[in-house]
Amino acid sequence: MATEIKLPRLGQGMESGTIVKWLKSEGDEVEKGEALYELDTDKVTQEVEADASGVLLKIAVAEGEVPVGKTIAVIGEQGESVEVADDAQEEGSPARAREEDRARGREAPSEQVTEIKQPSTTNGRIKASPLARRIARERGIDLSNVAGTGPDGRVVAEDVERAAATGAPVAPPVSAPTAPPQEVELEQLSSMRKTIARRLTEAWQAPVFQLGISVDMGRTLEVRKRLVELNADSAKPTVSDLLTKVCAMALMRHRAVNALYKGDAIELYPTANIGIAVAIPNGLVVPVIEGCERKTIAEIASARVELVDRARSGRLQQGDLDGGTFTISNLGMFGIERFIAVLNPPQAAILAVGSTEEKPVVVDGQVVVRPRLELTLTCDHRAIDGATGAQFLGDVKAFLEEPGLAL
Amino acid sequence: MPELSYREAVRDALSRAMREDDDVFIMGEDIAEMGGSMGVTQGMLDEFGPERVRNTPISEMALAGTAIGAAMQGMRPVAEIMYEDFLTLATEQIVNQAAKHRYMSGGQLSVPVTFRTQGGAGWSPGAQHAQQLEAWFVHIPGLKVVFASTPSDVRGLLWSSIYDDNPVVFFEHRTLYGLKEDVPDELEPIPLGQARVHREGDDVTVIATGRLVHEALSAAQEAEGEGISVEVVDPRTLQPLDEETLVDSVKKTSRCVVAHEAVTRMGFGAEVASVIQYSAFDWLDAPIERVGAKFAPLPFAPVMEEFVVPHANDVLAAIRRTVGRNGN
Repeated sequence: MATEIKLPRLGQGMESGTIVKWLKSEGDEVEKGEALYELDTDKVTQEVEADASGVLLKIAVAEGEVPVGKTIAVIGEQGESVEVADDAQEEGSPARAREEDRARGREAPSEQVTEIKQPSTTNGRIKASPLARRIARERGIDLSNVAGTGPDGRVVAEDVERAAATGAPVAPPVSAPTAPPQEVELEQLSSMRKTIARRLTEAWQAPVFQLGISVDMGRTLEVRKRLVELNADSAKPTVSDLLTKVCAMALMRHRAVNALYKGDAIELYPTANIGIAVAIPNGLVVPVIEGCERKTIAEIASARVELVDRARSGRLQQGDLDGGTFTISNLGMFGIERFIAVLNPPQAAILAVGSTEEKPVVVDGQVVVRPRLELTLTCDHRAIDGATGAQFLGDVKAFLEEPGLAL
Repeated sequence: MPELSYREAVRDALSRAMREDDDVFIMGEDIAEMGGSMGVTQGMLDEFGPERVRNTPISEMALAGTAIGAAMQGMRPVAEIMYEDFLTLATEQIVNQAAKHRYMSGGQLSVPVTFRTQGGAGWSPGAQHAQQLEAWFVHIPGLKVVFASTPSDVRGLLWSSIYDDNPVVFFEHRTLYGLKEDVPDELEPIPLGQARVHREGDDVTVIATGRLVHEALSAAQEAEGEGISVEVVDPRTLQPLDEETLVDSVKKTSRCVVAHEAVTRMGFGAEVASVIQYSAFDWLDAPIERVGAKFAPLPFAPVMEEFVVPHANDVLAAIRRTVGRNGN
């Protein structure tokens, strides 16, 4: 005779329980008192013991919530046939009613739905997401011309992307292109350009003045020619290398120029670490040649060749760029006669070097043609005064015109 | 790989720690013969005996204080607080004692205690037996707070909590105990402070805890059918919070929904939303949405209980709002 196993009432007020898992499988031998399944009730989970011995013929409810009194399994003799209604949660049962209740609660509308409206401006204020604003800023797009499709007409990133793709009007401060916007090429700032932008903007805050001077390069060119002959096997010294050496010697006599301006102090350096501005694809770097006052011109030339080579092939290391006390920027090779260099902070001064040109000048009352070079020194007035800069630049001129004076 | 339920996974972590280490023991109300009110510690009395599976009087303050004292003496107790609602009774001990001693002793003391507790709605336990109070404890410097959502997570995180030298409040969710998953034979400890990306997506990040992880996953499934790609991230450890993973995810998707079962107002999600808006401000393309329970005590009536706590459809509605769709 098969015994129907019904869900027991394990405590007052218990109307249903949830079968977590069966500890026996269909076909297993079961002893009365043996743990048969795990039951979850409102308060506890516990193992429920079999209340009959025999073979577990059928598990009617494998898991889930069941009302008290419902048949969940049948124990009987091997081979006995059993039938149990499959519907564990009969129509109208408390468990079924509760499940229906829960579904109703879950599905009840609870959140107010934001209606998406079209107008996007109120009193000139444009509603736009932070991301949309950032993209507009980066691409120079005027948000007031972008239609917002987000909630409440907010301009979202997608709207700006679309505007960018279809060539929406570009914000006035960025540019006023005459060419069709489709032809504007966008170039995201590389980290080097960002550094250049940041450093030079910083430099612009310094109160600077410029000093210009014209130099007769006759003797220097002779010396250079001689040095090229003497150093035929190594790097060929250039006018720049001579300038580097000459500046180093002048800096040693004018320590105030070989200085860094550090806000609450000026650091005066005992050695001339001269930065050489080098143009590279898409940017500019300033590798440093250390201790130029102690180096021969040949040594400076070979150091310069190596640094420029490394800079152009992108192999400079941070150490190559650190520690500069003065910078030389030379655009002479491009035929520029004179220019003003922007300070390389925190350095107190930078020298702009033009091209050496044959020019008519007056020497001893006679107009003669001489090779002339124009130098422009930019000084940070917080660190250097006009006379200090002038004396330094005067010495540079004197050393170039009469190299022996640098000794 | 054996299949373990969330309940069995908790038991497995406790049992393994107790087998390996005499300093680990468990205590709590009705955890011995009865095996705990949720059946988590069933069978452990037989294996470990009454010295290490200790029934306590019905006083959460006394039981918490005892566990803290034992921890300061070098043990690694795991105290079970039957319902997280009853943490309120142990709060003095946890907040003023456990969280403070390491600091106030200048590091001479440590309190390696773990408070396991459970809560959550979905079975009509009423207003005093279903709250989600994790926000109370993440607010306390000196405590770590964990909320696991899957069997493998609960096992690996409980292990790490037991072996953390700081007090940990370890939240389990009542409705997840029956959840099953294949779990490796080897117990892999999961470091505290490491979020888990359950599902990758491009359009919206849903940061969810506890039961809402599963609601979020089913909402994500639904959203996929509407062409919205949803990333679901579970912080798992609420304190310390893996801000990097959360922020990186939102920087990728530009939209964020924070979902938990606890009351939304002043909840854990508010802090997450603040972290995200500050660290990913320029990446946000929509306001951060929060999903949580309505600001009301939990009703007993099933229909009302379901109405108050959030479900997958609430997460889905929030997902749709972030992408600017009304949904139908």
